[in-house]
Amino acid sequence: MSLVREQRIELPDMIAYAGATWDWHKLHYDADYLRERGLGKPVVDGQVFGAYLAVALREWFGPDAVVTALSFRFKSLVFAGETIRCVGTAVRQEAGTVEVDLRVEVVEDGRIAVAPAAATLTLP
Amino acid sequence: MTLLTAELAARIGEERVYTAPEPLGRAAIRYFALATGDTDPAHLAGDVAPPTLICETNQYANLPRDADGYAGHGWHLDVPGTRLIRGGNAYRFERPVGPDDVITARWKLADMTERVTGSGKTMLVVTSIATYTDQAGRLLAVNEETLIYVAR
Repeated sequence: MSLVREQRIELPDMIAYAGATWDWHKLHYDADYLRERGLGKPVVDGQVFGAYLAVALREWFGPDAVVTALSFRFKSLVFAGETIRCVGTAVRQEAGTVEVDLRVEVVEDGRIAVAPAAATLTLP
Repeated sequence: MTLLTAELAARIGEERVYTAPEPLGRAAIRYFALATGDTDPAHLAGDVAPPTLICETNQYANLPRDADGYAGHGWHLDVPGTRLIRGGNAYRFERPVGPDDVITARWKLADMTERVTGSGKTMLVVTSIATYTDQAGRLLAVNEETLIYVAR
């Protein structure tokens, strides 16, 4: 079973996330700060991919599914205005538990943003 | 070039403990759910926190922001001649978190290991473990975080 969820990340989404997590790092919004570091656009906070994957998992497996473990490694930066695709594959399912391999791609050019990644869920 | 100096190695095992000055709060949960495109009604109502919230927020730290604007936990390691990149995270979620929970985060500088990248650059891999508990001392979640200092 292949599972897919796409989401465009606009700058207002990033500003909202910065406020919601009390993380005001200038990489995520400050044009002067970014220019000094050779970056053309605000950088999406890497931590948010955990949240995006958790949202995708519960949409795929239902609201009563409980994410008990989630791991992910960062491969490349994602920038404001890009669309990400969370991709999941259930690799093992038994006795109310499912294990899922995950990755996050950037839709515009196909580069890998997050991989490898994996999750374990308990199902009702 | 050795990145893992004796001074840095001596810091392995350090801990920092932060207890939030207030309960997590319904608004904080709702704000996080809105900001991440969450569609779960219980999250959007602020009744139950999305699982990764406590691992991603700096709310509990109550720290002033630094020169980069960052206001979360950090070890402030001095690793000259390197650039810092995120490695990844591994979360384990032990119990649901609600708006009345007062979060304590205990960070431990668990390990530092020097390695060589595929392109031959030296790097220092720093592993931290954050353990989150509520006001009753119940374990909520564990977060193993990897940061990498790569030689320029």
